[in-house]
Amino acid sequence: MNYKIKSLLIPLIVLTVFVLSWELASFWGYLKPTRFPAPSKLLMSFLDLIFSGYPADVTIDQHLLKTIERIIIGFLLSVCLGVPFGLLIGGFHALDRLTSTIIAFCRSIATLSLLPLAIVWFGTGEQSKIFLIAYGCFWVMLSNVIEAVKQVDPLMMKAAKTMDIDGIELFLKVILPSVLPRIFAGMRISLGVGFMVIVGAEMIGTVIGLGSLIMEARTFYRTDITMVGMMILGLMGFLMTTGLAWLEKKLMPWQQQEHDRTSP
Amino acid sequence: MKSVTNKIDLNNVYKKFITDPENMQPVLGDVSLQIEENEFVVLLGRSGCGKTTLLNIVAGLELATSGKVQVDGIDVTGPGRGKGMVFQQGALFPWLNAEQNIQFAARKQGLNVEQSKELSQKLLLLVGLAGAEKKYPFELSGGMQQRVAIARALALDPQILLMDEPFGALDELTRIEMQNELLRVWSLKQKTVVFVTHSIWEGLMLADRIIVLAPRPGRIVLEKKIDRQRPRKRSDPMLIELYEEIWTSLQ
Repeated sequence: MNYKIKSLLIPLIVLTVFVLSWELASFWGYLKPTRFPAPSKLLMSFLDLIFSGYPADVTIDQHLLKTIERIIIGFLLSVCLGVPFGLLIGGFHALDRLTSTIIAFCRSIATLSLLPLAIVWFGTGEQSKIFLIAYGCFWVMLSNVIEAVKQVDPLMMKAAKTMDIDGIELFLKVILPSVLPRIFAGMRISLGVGFMVIVGAEMIGTVIGLGSLIMEARTFYRTDITMVGMMILGLMGFLMTTGLAWLEKKLMPWQQQEHDRTSP
Repeated sequence: MKSVTNKIDLNNVYKKFITDPENMQPVLGDVSLQIEENEFVVLLGRSGCGKTTLLNIVAGLELATSGKVQVDGIDVTGPGRGKGMVFQQGALFPWLNAEQNIQFAARKQGLNVEQSKELSQKLLLLVGLAGAEKKYPFELSGGMQQRVAIARALALDPQILLMDEPFGALDELTRIEMQNELLRVWSLKQKTVVFVTHSIWEGLMLADRIIVLAPRPGRIVLEKKIDRQRPRKRSDPMLIELYEEIWTSLQ
């Protein structure tokens, strides 16, 4: 059998068996509908979300678009700040020594514990949500860029020097291309963080967004809606990180196929 | 009467790293060495004997603490295009393919796009890599990567080729192959070569002259001219004798 078909077929079979046993377990009453609604029920809820929306009239596309918007703005902010600061800190040993403790500390703060503060600072509107996402993404981005610069092969720098490359040219033609893969890896990880933070960030002050959908449904014991929201969020995160990995492969064909599974 | 001028002239070169107060011994203590044009010189010694430092000083990547370092009678103040360098595996730019890596160097030498393309074709042919133009370093074996590295160094059209354990990361068989390749290239393009290694046999196969260095402080303990046709055979009694002598000097 063709390898490609085989590699697709096996997960498909596993998934089918899983869904089928779930459905049967619900049907025979082993799983309570309020705790583990059957897949068929989830499908119905999903269709419900598309056509009539939850809460009333807020349909799934609105939730989806709003969430994507927030994640992307926060994520891009973190990239725009993280890359230049990372290059700077990574490039100067003294700066790195000076900031490493602070960065390690800020990175360790659970982003969602900043929620109350974010509300005090930015109110309950969009700003506080974007701040939280950007905060979570930023530190991951920053530390990855710093590491990337620090790990530029000294032998390669030496080789560049023997070819009379220095200054701006050294930065643009040697340092930048050699840190690019690691920056991309950082982007993938940080996007993942964005998806983790979003549920918490959307807890307050909004009914639109997948995170708020999940929280809202939980309040009313709509386990089915919570699960559907969860799955959509998961699928979206998966698609976006896969897209980024694809882009990475297109932009950097010199990379050896390395499958790092460093997701948070 | 024409006086023979030295290509590379090292006089009383002394090097000490100030950043390392623990290490009171200088890396190089008073090394003097003259290298003639088109000579193939091998620097041989254990790790830490300062052979790479010496090479870096000739390259202009490091400065001597004191002493005189001249190439063509001019003081070395920094890396320059007259000197091409080949390092251990991994110094190629991974984001450029074989051809682009060579062209990068060619462009730095002032050639235009057309000329550098032509030159890279010629050099790839010279190092036996025709057909691998579009391959990225990760797609090339270690030996092939070093062929590209040699071609890249040659693209700078240097008069001096500095090689820092270029075959050190290769397996034994590839290594012998690459030594022969290097000799072939060297016979076609006359260059002054300074080659650093810790393999006695590699030195014996390649060198016009072997310089043996000893550590703490780095100094020359033995100097041997090898007047033998290349390719050489390991079974050559003279080389075996030299091997013993060098080995003894390293103890």
